[in-house]
Amino acid sequence: MLHDAYDLSFYEFDDEKDSKEYGVLLCDVVHGRPPMKPTYMGIGWYWYYHGVRYGAETLHLPTTHGWDSRFVQGYPYITAIRTTPEEAKEREPIFREKIKPFLENFDGVWDPLKAELLKMYKEAKDARGLKEWDDIKKLSNADLLSFFLDFAYIINRKEGEIHFIMLMASFYIVGLLQEMWRTIFEEEPSIDPNFHKLMSGFENQDMKMGRMMWELGRKAVELNLDDIFRNTEDDVLIDKLNTSEAGRTWNSLYHEFLLEHGWRSDRAHSYDSPVWLEKPSMGLSRIKLLMHAPLFKFDVERVRVIKDREETEKEVLARVPEVQRPAFSLLVKAAQKSGYWSEDHGYFCDCHVGAMGRWILQEFGRRFAQAGSIDDAEDVYFLHPNEIRKAAIPLGRINLRPYVERRKKVWEENMKIEPIPFFGDISQAQDILRSDPTLLVSTQVPVVRKELKADLYGAACAPGSFQGTARVIMSVDKISELKPGEILVAPGTSTAWMVVFGIIKGLVTDGGGALSHPVIMAREFGIPCVSGTVEATQKIKTGDKIWVDGNRGVVYIMDK
Amino acid sequence: MSDKWIYWLEELGKEDNERVGRKCANLGEITKAGLPVPKGFCLSVGAYGMFMELTGAAEEIARLLETHKPAADDVNGIRTLSRAMRHAVESKPLPPEMADTVLSYYSQLCDQACTLDVAVSTRSAGAVSHPGQYETYLNVKGKDDLLDKVRKVWASTFNERSLAFCINKGLTLGNEPIGVAVLTMVQARSAGIAFSADPNTGDTSKIIIEANWGLGESVVSGELMPDRWVIDKETLEVRERTLGRKDKATVCLDCGIEDAEISPEKACSFCLSDEELKEIAKLANKLEAHFGLPQDIEWAVAEDKPFPNIVLLQTRAVVISKQAPVDQVLDLMVGLLAFK
Repeated sequence: MLHDAYDLSFYEFDDEKDSKEYGVLLCDVVHGRPPMKPTYMGIGWYWYYHGVRYGAETLHLPTTHGWDSRFVQGYPYITAIRTTPEEAKEREPIFREKIKPFLENFDGVWDPLKAELLKMYKEAKDARGLKEWDDIKKLSNADLLSFFLDFAYIINRKEGEIHFIMLMASFYIVGLLQEMWRTIFEEEPSIDPNFHKLMSGFENQDMKMGRMMWELGRKAVELNLDDIFRNTEDDVLIDKLNTSEAGRTWNSLYHEFLLEHGWRSDRAHSYDSPVWLEKPSMGLSRIKLLMHAPLFKFDVERVRVIKDREETEKEVLARVPEVQRPAFSLLVKAAQKSGYWSEDHGYFCDCHVGAMGRWILQEFGRRFAQAGSIDDAEDVYFLHPNEIRKAAIPLGRINLRPYVERRKKVWEENMKIEPIPFFGDISQAQDILRSDPTLLVSTQVPVVRKELKADLYGAACAPGSFQGTARVIMSVDKISELKPGEILVAPGTSTAWMVVFGIIKGLVTDGGGALSHPVIMAREFGIPCVSGTVEATQKIKTGDKIWVDGNRGVVYIMDK
Repeated sequence: MSDKWIYWLEELGKEDNERVGRKCANLGEITKAGLPVPKGFCLSVGAYGMFMELTGAAEEIARLLETHKPAADDVNGIRTLSRAMRHAVESKPLPPEMADTVLSYYSQLCDQACTLDVAVSTRSAGAVSHPGQYETYLNVKGKDDLLDKVRKVWASTFNERSLAFCINKGLTLGNEPIGVAVLTMVQARSAGIAFSADPNTGDTSKIIIEANWGLGESVVSGELMPDRWVIDKETLEVRERTLGRKDKATVCLDCGIEDAEISPEKACSFCLSDEELKEIAKLANKLEAHFGLPQDIEWAVAEDKPFPNIVLLQTRAVVISKQAPVDQVLDLMVGLLAFK
């Protein structure tokens, strides 16, 4: 039987054939929760999925043609399209040539691609005379459609291709280092503190953003605005600030910051969550959390983290057999760059392109609703891109409700369910993950070690150990509930959660592997973290006393 | 001749490298360690010098070098000089006392083997390895043949290869005295080499074995494609097996050896069983553990003995290729993907 995927062909799960053909399909808990709506599936996910295949084919990855994906009840399931042994043999020599530049000079590959992306985003706006968020309202229907088509078919495609060429190279490099680590040191690298120390202390774009926001916070203190900040709710703070000279000064600084860096939302490719530039109050809670620290925490930690890294590097290299040392050292360098890229790309890839999609789709939603094609602007996210295209000009001629209503109803049902973690034979997961390490971006398998008698086991971690009070936060808009010094327990953390790293003392997440955002950020901030536990947010309750042991990658719930 | 210049293998150890050459020293070392090595003895580096001095060959060589100074690209000049130098060595009989001593060691080998003229191999052994540079003679039988081949091994330090090598490197010619290993021949059904690490990548998780039917010479010479196996060093399981193109094999004649064609049936089948591979891999591991470095090993399967009938003929540290680190990483990356 084929499971419907909101009328999208080839995405339907075939419960007779698919598990057999692929062995196992794993739920993408990182990108797929809450369940995807049609615009996410049809644009963001579509180009991801294209990017993975494009990356695999361009790099000639010997073991995989990229991911395949199916939807069950709105949740995405992913697996690898594995190559035959003959194909692997054919692809191998080309793969060597293609991956070599990443090993020799990672930045030499990434820097021009990064510049290309930024130029593309800028030109898309400049060509249409767009600067401020509301400028898009001035576009004619035809111009808005052309922007949408550029976005959906050119900008997203380019971003997806660059994104995944980089991601695949990064994961193959880190994957090899992890494999060598297992062979040489007989330790599981994802839970070996030395491995994590080796990958730490690189300043990524998020860190730079965090520092800018801390500076904005300090500026507010300097302008004697801290009382207003403290006593005003986020959503009215901007208005309140506009009533004073100092407040207006601060607002204009903040606006400048957002014009450059405010192209981000809590969930990049779903388009149904607001962008900071659109809703400036979103950044305020984070600034409030940071503003009272006399120093930016990362800057304090950084010196220690870098020193630790350098010492660990020496120590680790000394344990590598001499013949392998130069190769190992080269691989470590490339892996460090890969880990750093893995953090950086969120800003340059997902955030920007996702925010642009939000910009255009939100405007279409507004116009469709105004013209009577749909009831509510938010309903636009239940349409497929080709439907938007067909209904865009002349606008208002097509009644889109029948398409929206049906899918919306299903989506609302799907919201209530807990997705099944996998379909097929889970014992094949390890093979699938090895054939394509990029699958680890979205899935994880905890390393269960019964002898530790822990309550939760992680798939990856950042070193350090802390006992304290847990706060379970299910979505990023609730992070202001956090009190300094608490342990954050969350489904996962994307770049939108960045600000919390300045105030928490420990972190436990359901999702995430060794290169995932929470682990990398926790390492940089020197916060003990256990990631990829799958069920932390279910097992732990706010107020529980828990022990996060990032050295061993396990969590204990005390006084249960 | 008070200084000792001839030794049984079991009298030697790796510390005797300078005295008898690396091959002999290492064979002695592993004999003492209880590993399977053919019976044999070694003529020291000093024996070579002694022969050269006592017979006047050294003087003759010196004279030749004064009159012949071929350039690196002077192939004919090098050839002429080489012939003259080798003749200077090969034409001199061993001084009687040296010949008697060598022959008394040989007759003890014959006694141990309960044979009149036991077949032996005579192999060169430099203090520094020069694989493939000097001569080895196999299936040497009888006193006269032995003495002749010992001189030929000595003379091979003046072969064209080594002269060309020295001229190219600007080294003094004829300045490389060598030892000679005399080992009882192994009647090899199959033979070859084993590396206790991948010489291309330094990957120490694998053992690589290459072999052909008959004596190991066809494998060592690199003239055909032997059967090849990659063995997991830890589990000793075979990870990969590749059938070679083995149209010929090196076999023993009555005296000496030849390359003979082998039957299509044999050419198409692997020349080692999994049990034999495991035995060889075990020995490779033992050798590596003993020397503390990955080893490059020559071995043979003795046809006339019951299993486990693997005999070691040589061991030395693996020379890991001077590959650029990035190529090593690429090899590892591809290797990692290949067996998944």
